[in-house]
Amino acid sequence: MSTDINQLRSEALEAVNASPDLESLKETERSFLGKNGRITDLLKKVKGLTLEEKKSFGKAVNTLKHELKQSIISKKKNLEQLQVETQLEKDWIDLSAPGKRRQSGHIHPLAQVQKEVESIFQQMGFSIIDGPEIESEFYNFEALNIAPHHPARDMQDTFFIDKAADEKEGRLVLRTHTSPNQVRTMLKWGAPLRVIIPGRVFRNEALDASHEHTFDQVEGLLIDKNISIAHMKGIMQEFLAGLFRKEMKVRFRPGYFPFVEPGIELDMSCVFCDGKGCSTCKKSGWIEFMGSGMVHPNVLKAGGVNPEEYQGWAFGFGLTRLTMMRYGINDIRHLTCGDLRINKQF
Amino acid sequence: MKISVDWVEDFVDIPKDISPEDIAKCITKHTAEVEGALLLEKRYKNIVIGIIKKLQKHPKADRLNLTLVDIGKDEPVQIVCGGQNLYEGMRVAVALPGALVNLHGEDLLEIKKTKIRDEESNGMICAGEEIWLKPDNDPQAQEEIKIKDLSHLHVNAGTSLSKALNIKGLLLDIDNKSLTHRPDLWGHYGFAREFSAIWSRPLRSLNDLLFDGKEGDVSMKVRIEQPQVCPRFSACIVSGIKIEASPQWMQSRLELAGMKAINNIVDISNYVMLELGQPMHAYDRREIEGDELIVGLGKKEAKLMTLDGNEHTLHEEDPVIYNRKGEALILAGIKGGMKSGIQEDTQEIILEAANWNPVMIRKASTRHQLRTDASQRFEKGLDPSMTEIAVRRALKLIMQICPDAKLISPIENFGSWKENKLNIKVSPKNLCSKIGLQIPREDMIQILRSLGFGVESEGENLRVEVPSHRSGRDINIKEDIMEEIARIYGYEKIPALLPNLPSKLPQQNTIRFYEHKTRNLLAFLLGYTEILTYSFYGLDPLKACRLEEKAHMRVLNYLSEDQSHMRISMVPNILAVIGKNQRRHSLVKIFEIGRTYKESGKYMPLEEKKLIMAIAKKEEPFYDMKGALEDYLVAMGLSSYKLEPCQDPPNFAHPKKCLSINVRGQKVGYMFNVHPGVLNEFDIEKSVAMTELNFDKLLSRGIDEHKFKEPPKFPGISFDISILVDKKMESGSLLKKLKSLDGLIESVEIFDIYEGGELAQEKKSITYRFKLQHKDRTLTDQEFKTVQSKVIDFLGDLGAALRGACAKPEKC
Repeated sequence: MSTDINQLRSEALEAVNASPDLESLKETERSFLGKNGRITDLLKKVKGLTLEEKKSFGKAVNTLKHELKQSIISKKKNLEQLQVETQLEKDWIDLSAPGKRRQSGHIHPLAQVQKEVESIFQQMGFSIIDGPEIESEFYNFEALNIAPHHPARDMQDTFFIDKAADEKEGRLVLRTHTSPNQVRTMLKWGAPLRVIIPGRVFRNEALDASHEHTFDQVEGLLIDKNISIAHMKGIMQEFLAGLFRKEMKVRFRPGYFPFVEPGIELDMSCVFCDGKGCSTCKKSGWIEFMGSGMVHPNVLKAGGVNPEEYQGWAFGFGLTRLTMMRYGINDIRHLTCGDLRINKQF
Repeated sequence: MKISVDWVEDFVDIPKDISPEDIAKCITKHTAEVEGALLLEKRYKNIVIGIIKKLQKHPKADRLNLTLVDIGKDEPVQIVCGGQNLYEGMRVAVALPGALVNLHGEDLLEIKKTKIRDEESNGMICAGEEIWLKPDNDPQAQEEIKIKDLSHLHVNAGTSLSKALNIKGLLLDIDNKSLTHRPDLWGHYGFAREFSAIWSRPLRSLNDLLFDGKEGDVSMKVRIEQPQVCPRFSACIVSGIKIEASPQWMQSRLELAGMKAINNIVDISNYVMLELGQPMHAYDRREIEGDELIVGLGKKEAKLMTLDGNEHTLHEEDPVIYNRKGEALILAGIKGGMKSGIQEDTQEIILEAANWNPVMIRKASTRHQLRTDASQRFEKGLDPSMTEIAVRRALKLIMQICPDAKLISPIENFGSWKENKLNIKVSPKNLCSKIGLQIPREDMIQILRSLGFGVESEGENLRVEVPSHRSGRDINIKEDIMEEIARIYGYEKIPALLPNLPSKLPQQNTIRFYEHKTRNLLAFLLGYTEILTYSFYGLDPLKACRLEEKAHMRVLNYLSEDQSHMRISMVPNILAVIGKNQRRHSLVKIFEIGRTYKESGKYMPLEEKKLIMAIAKKEEPFYDMKGALEDYLVAMGLSSYKLEPCQDPPNFAHPKKCLSINVRGQKVGYMFNVHPGVLNEFDIEKSVAMTELNFDKLLSRGIDEHKFKEPPKFPGISFDISILVDKKMESGSLLKKLKSLDGLIESVEIFDIYEGGELAQEKKSITYRFKLQHKDRTLTDQEFKTVQSKVIDFLGDLGAALRGACAKPEKC
């Protein structure tokens, strides 16, 4: 019996060793250890043996089985490694060929900047408010201290809706600024107040590279008991630093807007040259950014806020212009022309 | 508006150590925006007066002259010149090498020593337009070139042109818009007052500039028929006038300010306007019968020829001045009349300065499309006290320039205006708290006084008397006083502070949150690109989309035909964008978030936020859009949506390819293919599928609660069944039924729909994929087989032929 076993061992180990690849190794494994394999067959011969013999024979076969398995595992490892090596030897890929790209969509630059602006102001505790785009003359003008004969109310600047006027509210107009929402918001929420109002506004202006009849503004309003002009400087400096991710300066100049007093034009240090003077800022180091000022007492009153108790400031800047500045877009019409070659750049 | 600092310095001394740049900056910071600043000496550098000593033809060029010009040096220099009006002894402007001259408007040309057809030329003899003076040549005419004749200037050769013409100092270009509310700044004296406040320098009193000589006794009559048109009117009669050119210094100042010099009297009235901001007018006395002027409104259909030679038909709200015969003389406050104006032989004049109703002037000037230096000032609302002052100032200049002139009437004032002193009480403490800066009380007083305000202390407070040039115009309340103090004291001195406010969460704007989320999902998950279109469209696209015109609100004064109706749907503008892009992009996937507008039945219209998505391609786009919509709704947390065949498709939708979108029991919009007829109208050659959603409604009932679900612990089994059915059978309609066949069916979905190939034409093959799952144990083969045969039996009963039988069950 033992010679049978020895004979088989050397045959099996020989066969494992001689297997040229994984497939023949598998075949070898099957022929010795499979259901009808030769080692399995050996066990069938135990019938005629004594108990003692059975014991030692069984042990010997199991040892052989174990030994063979180990040898197969190690051979398998060798063959696998060989196969990987051959594979690597053969493999080649065109590294310069293009990757499989997904066709991503694009968010409009105006929306991207709007989101950034909103998020910065939200972090400073400002709420984001929306208001109607079709406004009444009352909210668009009167409530903002813009008298009936003010040049700003000329037909040339304002789109009117073809509808009979209301006795109190006047005609319907496409809002010419986001400012009507100062009063609407005051009436709705009362003081104190910390809001921004981004949105679309309309001017009856002929289209050219820097003028659109449709564009977006951001209105801001801060009303509380001890709010000063100095706070506007602080908040705007903070906002601009957040937006442009660097230290920014602001400069005040006298300006005139009927709904604020004093009226202030706010310039920001030029983002392109950091105030050193370049072609964008016309060598001045400053870029005109927004109109602002302390809310006019008449406007507070129109909003139902007592000017003797509360004070505050308001501002309005062009989101469209800011977007153009951020991306270096030189023609305002690019933003609404719908040419996907433009929109797909953002 | 152009402000000459040299002129301003007639009234105030500016510190000498301030650079021109700083002057401009200071005015911008304290008063009004300076858009440009030009140092005139610099502009005229190396341009001098030359006297032509010898004139001869250029030997090699017919049209050129060879001149010898005395430029104040030891020897005259040779200059080649093409001018045809040259003569010996003529004084001309000579641009020497290094000078910059104005070439065709914008470009500057540097003059160099050169040779022209072999002849040396040591500079250039200039025409008016080349040196920013009244042009001598029509820019179109090339035939004859004229040179500026400066022979009337009796100055030595070599004198700088700047000095000879008295054009010097800094010329500021002020942004008119920043002066809208400051009528007092529409003259040099007003700016002098600002300069005096900014640099704390004394301001020369106006009184020094005014005529206070003997008045005559010829009576002058002015009848004001409409008091509201003209609150004040000052006039007088002057004789002994000889009309001639005004002195060079005056002409130069007018030209710098952008006005043409005409003759001494007209120039004086313009000069006074530029100096004091008060427009004036002078009439030839011969046209004013009985020395009487009548101030009234336009007579219907009456005509008036203005000084510019245009005939205007008067309107019943035009302010007009008539003579006794009822002839309209001038369009008051806007433009003088041809007939009554100063003539070459005028010897006696009636001089007037009036105050006109600003609104009426603005309306009349808009009506006649005539915006003049006068109307621009009057429409801001001028100070009525200035009319007499202007007349006195003009008289002073007339006496100075016309030696024989004589005031033969008194200086008379007409109209109902009376000075009304406005006093405002301000609390310095309160003021400082609003500005956010401690400004010393003395500085406040000093600033206000230098601007012409009267200031008295009243305990803690100040009582401020507003001067008439500001009162009732831009200064009315204490906040206005605050502005005066803050701007002159210096906005730059205000610190940047952050307010000490409670750090509470702002109000949430839910819609806005989801708007931004939608953009992210559509762009980065689904590959759609955001566009923006206008809020309006024209009648053509509206009709092309089969929308009802009546349903629209119209813009009254639209800019162009394609912007006349407020949009009630996002579809027309999106189709236009697709049309624009279809040639360049084989696949267009776009979206927009915007508002639509319609009547609400109340005064304020109903504005709704809409989301529109569109896909355009050659092949059927319906399922691309349907899939995108479903992905979007699930990602938004609205997975309990229902898409159902639409019973009432909108007119622009394909009637058979339209689904209505229901979210949480509410209809929120449509998903559809655009009607092929509509596509034809827009010349779109691709198929287009769209989704139009009411964004406010979409979110109005909240979103799914997000709850974690434990994954199954035991393997499930999945299998496919393919059936052959009629093409028009709705594959999705069976899903619900199939799922309910057995409790072990976890899900059923349509894995594939196949048509064509070996299949009969009216047939299609649908493959459903089933997933079986038991939550507590592994499924047995028997269970799988039972479910499978249930499904097969069910489908067989429906008459569907089992096609691809069943794939091997896969453990999953």
